[in-house]
Amino acid sequence: MKTNRNEKLNTESVRQLLNRSSARLDLRTLSRLRDVRTQVLARFDARSTAPVFVLAGSGHTTGSHRNQYYFALAILLAAFLYSGATYWQHAIEHEKSEVDIAILTDDLPIDAYVD
Amino acid sequence: MWIDGFLRRLIPLIIAALISLPAAAVADAWTELTPIQQEALAPLSKGWDALPKKQQQHFIGLAKHYPKLTTVQKERLHKRLEAWSKLTPEQRKRAREKYLALSKASPEKRAQVKQMLLEQQALKAAASSVPPAIPTP
Repeated sequence: MKTNRNEKLNTESVRQLLNRSSARLDLRTLSRLRDVRTQVLARFDARSTAPVFVLAGSGHTTGSHRNQYYFALAILLAAFLYSGATYWQHAIEHEKSEVDIAILTDDLPIDAYVD
Repeated sequence: MWIDGFLRRLIPLIIAALISLPAAAVADAWTELTPIQQEALAPLSKGWDALPKKQQQHFIGLAKHYPKLTTVQKERLHKRLEAWSKLTPEQRKRAREKYLALSKASPEKRAQVKQMLLEQQALKAAASSVPPAIPTP
């Protein structure tokens, strides 16, 4: 409680001090401060409206964007691996089929090749 | 970044392809085979639906060669297909290995081995009092 009161007092006194100080500032400084504030706000607006891929509920825009990028890359890699494996399997099956048809139509009976 | 747009378009395509794969893996029932496939695989018609899907796919692959075969080869195929389908995967693997080994040998060596195999066949048949399978020229 005591600490809170101290904090409140301090905050109020700091605010008063700042108000008093800003009232004492000369016009040139005030004008420069206003310009800087406008520039910062403009920059903030531009950044917040930039098109980024944000997942719902995520706080860190850059982090989630990177995660999504890695996720997409992982899917792409998985797809390449899967299609490679499928192609390989298809090639083996095709080769097997060629040999089988050769055995089944050969002039030697299949018993000659079977133990 | 251009890659973002590319990936965003690619992901739905990949997902659609993966979803459609199980449908492609399902083999056909006998009645759903084409007339050429049915003609090629006629000796297997009775037990076709009981064959494992993978084996069905394999035989459908064999049927693709059928239109290119000569009449003699077609006859041989029909005579041997059922016996071939009843072999175990291991026996078929051994048979393929033997065939490939023989096909890599020189023509003289191949003729020699073929003669030897035929003699073995004749001996085996004589031992079991079953007439040997005479190869058609």
